[in-house]
Amino acid sequence: MAAESAHHEEHNHPGPRQYIVIGAILAGLTLIEFGVFYLQLDPALMTWIILVLSTSKFMLVVGYFMHLKFDDLRFSALFFSPFVIMITIAAVLMALFFNLTR
Amino acid sequence: MAANIGILRRPVSTAGVWGWITTVDHKRIGILYGVTAFVFFLIGGIEALLMRVQLAQPDSEFVDAGTFNALFTMHGTTMVFMVVMPAGAAFFNFLVPLMIGARDVAFPRLNALSYWLFLFGAILMNFSFFKAAFPDVGWFGYAPLTTTPYTLSSSTDYWVLGLQVMGIGTTAAGFNFVITILNLRAPGMTLMRMPLFTWMTLIVSFLIIFAFPPLTIALTLLLFDRFFGTNFFDTVGAGADPLLWQHLFWIFGHPEVYILILPAMGIVSDILPTFSRKPLFGYTTVVFAGAVIAFLGFGVWAHHMFTTGLGAWATAAFAGATMAIGVPTGVKIFNWLATLWGGSLQFKTPLLFALGFISMFMLGGLSGVMHAAVPVDTQQQDTYFIVAHFHYVLFGGSIFGLTAGIYYWFPKMTGRMLSERLGKVHFWVMLIGFNMAFMPMHVLGVLGMPRRIYTYSADQNWAGLNLFVSVGAFVIAVSILLLIINVLRSVRKGEKAGMNPWAASTLEWAIPSPPPHYNFAVIPTVRSLHPLWDEEANAVEPPPLPAHGEPHMPSPSYWPIVVAFGVTMVCGGLLIWQASTWLGLAVIAVSGFIGMRGVYGWVFEPVAAEEHAEHAEHPERAPAHHA
Amino acid sequence: MQYVTGIDDHRTSTGLDNRKLLMWAFLGSDVMFFGTLIGTHLIYRNRSLSGPQEEILSIPITTVSTFVLLMSSLAMVLALAAIQRGNMGGFRFWTVVVAVFGSIFIGFQMFEFAEFAHLGLTPRTNLFGSTFLVMTGFHGAHVTVGILWMWSLVFASFKGKIHQGNALQVEIAGLYWHFVDIVWIVIFGVVYLIGAYGAENRALESVEHAARAASLI
Ligand code: HEM
Ligand SMILES: [Cu+2]
Repeated sequence: MAAESAHHEEHNHPGPRQYIVIGAILAGLTLIEFGVFYLQLDPALMTWIILVLSTSKFMLVVGYFMHLKFDDLRFSALFFSPFVIMITIAAVLMALFFNLTR
Repeated sequence: MAANIGILRRPVSTAGVWGWITTVDHKRIGILYGVTAFVFFLIGGIEALLMRVQLAQPDSEFVDAGTFNALFTMHGTTMVFMVVMPAGAAFFNFLVPLMIGARDVAFPRLNALSYWLFLFGAILMNFSFFKAAFPDVGWFGYAPLTTTPYTLSSSTDYWVLGLQVMGIGTTAAGFNFVITILNLRAPGMTLMRMPLFTWMTLIVSFLIIFAFPPLTIALTLLLFDRFFGTNFFDTVGAGADPLLWQHLFWIFGHPEVYILILPAMGIVSDILPTFSRKPLFGYTTVVFAGAVIAFLGFGVWAHHMFTTGLGAWATAAFAGATMAIGVPTGVKIFNWLATLWGGSLQFKTPLLFALGFISMFMLGGLSGVMHAAVPVDTQQQDTYFIVAHFHYVLFGGSIFGLTAGIYYWFPKMTGRMLSERLGKVHFWVMLIGFNMAFMPMHVLGVLGMPRRIYTYSADQNWAGLNLFVSVGAFVIAVSILLLIINVLRSVRKGEKAGMNPWAASTLEWAIPSPPPHYNFAVIPTVRSLHPLWDEEANAVEPPPLPAHGEPHMPSPSYWPIVVAFGVTMVCGGLLIWQASTWLGLAVIAVSGFIGMRGVYGWVFEPVAAEEHAEHAEHPERAPAHHA
Repeated sequence: MQYVTGIDDHRTSTGLDNRKLLMWAFLGSDVMFFGTLIGTHLIYRNRSLSGPQEEILSIPITTVSTFVLLMSSLAMVLALAAIQRGNMGGFRFWTVVVAVFGSIFIGFQMFEFAEFAHLGLTPRTNLFGSTFLVMTGFHGAHVTVGILWMWSLVFASFKGKIHQGNALQVEIAGLYWHFVDIVWIVIFGVVYLIGAYGAENRALESVEHAARAASLI
C-alpha cells in the first residue's frame, strides 16, 4: 500500500523545478497586485482584480505546495466545505452590516 | 527507545485512582465524562429548583434579583456545556469504537486531554462562586452587557475563561472523533453500514470543529475588551456595533443546538430497531437528513435576532431557512414512526424513553417552527414561550434521548441490567413532571410573562400556573432520584446482562459486558448494517484470544492531565493578574512552562511503558495509537 | 459475522494517514477561525470614530514581507522534496530557510506594529486598531508556532527522529506552514490592498467633514 502510493507520487507530483516556477509566478502575481494598487482604477474594478489575483495565488499554494491537486479528493472536501460555509457567512454579515438588506 | 523521557515515566498500572487519572482507554474516559456530566446535572438541577421556588409565588423574596440572574446563567451554561455536551461525549467515547469495531479512538491521549480540559474548565467557571460570585450575564453572555463598564465583577471573566478552556477540549474531541470514525472502521464497515449513532457522532464532530472557532473568537474578543481595553464591543466610546456579539454567538449557537440534539437522535435511531425487531425505516434518508440539518444549521443563526431589525430581506431569508430546516427534522420523525409501524414492539424502558423523546421533541420542533414565523416571534421573543420551546427540545429531546441511552447501554457498560420496574416508574414520573413543568410555560409566554424576571406581582395573574410549574419541577427531581436509586442498586445487585441482552444488531453487542480493555479479541469483518441479526449464529460467543495473547494497547499517560492543568492555570493566572500583576504573570509563566513541558513530554513519549521493540522498530506504524 | 485473525491494526479505513487527516481537519477548522477574525475586521471597516485607519497601512513594506512569506513557502516544499528523496542536508538547509524567512516576516510585523504605535494606533485606539491588530496578531502567533515547529524538526532530524521514512512529519508541518501563508495571501489582498485603496481620500474627507461639523457649531 505504502510502496504503491510512493510509486504513484513519483509520476504525478511536481518536482523542485516546478516548485520554483510556481514560486516565481506567486512573486509575479504579488508584484502585479502591488502595481494595480497604484493605478487610478475604479474601486470596484480594483477590488475584483485583486480578488482574482489573490484567489489565483491561493489556489496555486493550495494546489501545488499543499499537493491538494494531486492528493486525495477527500482532503479537498474537508478543507473547502468550511470555506464555503465561512465565505457565505462573511458575505451575509457584510450585507447586514453595510445595510444592504433593508 | 526506552521509557526514560524525563521526570515522568510512562505509567504501567491501570489500577486505583492513578489508573483513572492516567487512563487513555476510551471506555474509562467515557465513564468519566458520564459521571462528571451527571454531577453537573445535579448542580444545574438544584439551580433550577431554586429558581422555581422563587417563581412559585408572586412577589417572592426567596432570592434577590442578582442571585436570580446568577442562577439562570449558571443553570443554562451548566446544562448546555457541562451536561448535555459531555453526556453526549460519554456515549461517543464509550460506544463509537465498539460500534465500528475498533480498539480505541485514533488519538487516545488527545481524548484524555479533552476530558481533563472539560473538567478543569467547568471547575474554573464554578470556582467563581468562591472568588466573586456566579456569573450573571446569561448563558449567551450578550456583549456589551458583558463588557467592563456594565459588568465589573470578575465573575464574567471566569465565565469567559471557563468556556474557553472547555471549548478547546471539545474541539480536540471533535477532531478525534472525525478521524476515528473515518479511519478506524473494521474491515467491511463501510460508511453506510455504520450504526446511526456513529453517523450522528460524525456529524456532531464536524459541527464542533466548524462551529466552535466563531465562539472561540467571540470569547477572545470579549476577553481582550475586558482585559486589555480593546474596542470590539465598546458601543459608547468607540462606535462598536451592539449586534456583533449576537451574530458571532449565534453563528456558533445554532449549530450548537444541533450538537446538543443529534446524539440523542442517533441513540433513538439505534434503539427503535432493536425494540421493534425490524431495521430502521429509510436508513439512508435519516443519515442524509442529519447531514442536511447540520449544513443548514450554519445558515439560520439570525432567527435568534429577528427583533433586532435586520431589515425585511434578511429577516425573510432567515425565516425561510429556519422553516426549511424543520423539513429534514420532520423527515426523521416520520422515519422513526415508520420504524415502529408494524414492528413487534417490546415496551422495555429504553423504548419508552425513546418514544418520550419522539413525542416531546416533536412538540418542541413545532413551537420552533411557530417562532420561525417572524410576526409570531415578535410576540414570543424573550417570553416563557421560548423557554418552553427550548426545554421541549433540550429536556424532552436531548435528556429523554440520553436517558434512553443510559437504560439501553448500561448493561454494556457495567455488565448488569437496570431494574425494568423502577425504570418504568422513572419514565412515567419524568414524563408527567416534565409536561407539568414546561407545558404551562407556553401559556405563560402567551400571557406575556417575560423570561429572566426574578419575580412578578400578584395582579398579573401568572401565579397559579407558576405554582403548577414549580410543582412539576419537583416531580422531575423525584424522577431523577429514582434513576439514581436504580443505578446505585443495579451496579451491585442488578441482573447479569450477558453479551447481548436486548438481542440487538450492532457490533458493540458482540463482545462481553463490560468489554475487555482491548474491546475485540479479534477485529470482526462486517458484511451488513445489522451484523448480529444477519448472521446471528456466529455471534453467540466472542472468538477466543489469538495465540499471541492480548492485543497491545497504548499505556496510560500522565501528560494529558499535565497539559490540561497548564492550559487551565494560564487562564487562572490571567484572573490573578487582575488583582496582582506580578503574581498573575508568575502563575502564567509557571503554568505556561508546565503546559509546554507537557507537550514535549507527550510528543516524545513512547507508545508503551516497557521497551516495545515492535513499535520502536517501526515508528511509522505506531502512530495510530501514538498521539 | 466472521472474524479474521491477523488484521493489521494500523491500516486505516480510508487509506489516508490519521495524522494527515487530522491536520486537514484542523486546517478546515482554522478556516472558520481566521474567517471569523477577517469577517469581523471587514464589517467594522470605516466605522472608527477617531484615530488612524486604513490609510496608515504601508503597501510597499507589506509587499516585501508578503514576498518573504511566499518564498518561505517555496523553501518549505523544497525541504519536503529533499527529505522525500533522502537528502537530509537539503532538508535541513531549506527548513532553516523557512524558519529564518518566517522570522523575517515576524520582524516586519513587529516593525509595523511599532510604527503604528508611533503614529498613534494601538489596539485600544479605535475599532480599526482592535480588529486589525488582533487579526494580524493571531496570524503572527500562528507563524511563530510554525517557526518553533521548523526548528524542532531540524533538531529532531539530528537526533535521527526525522528521516526519509517519516517524511510525512515534514509534510504535515508543511501543510500548516502553507496554510499560514494562504491566510496571509487573503489578508494581504483583502485587508491591505483593497482596504487601503483610496483610504487617504476617505481620511481627508472625514477630516473635512469633522471640520465642517465643528464650524457649524
Ligand atoms: C425544528 C427545529 C427548530 C426550529 C425551527 C427552532 C427555532 C427557534 C427559534 C426561531 C428560536 C428563537 C426564538 C426567540 O428567541 O425568539 C429558538 C430558540 C431556541 N432554540 Fe430552537 N428551533 C428548533 C430546534 C431546536 C433544537 C433541536 C434545539 C436544541 C436542542 C433548540 C434550542 C433552542 C434554544 C436553546 C433556544 C433559545 C436560545 C436563547 O435565546 O437562549 N431549538 N429556536
Ligand atoms: Cu437557533
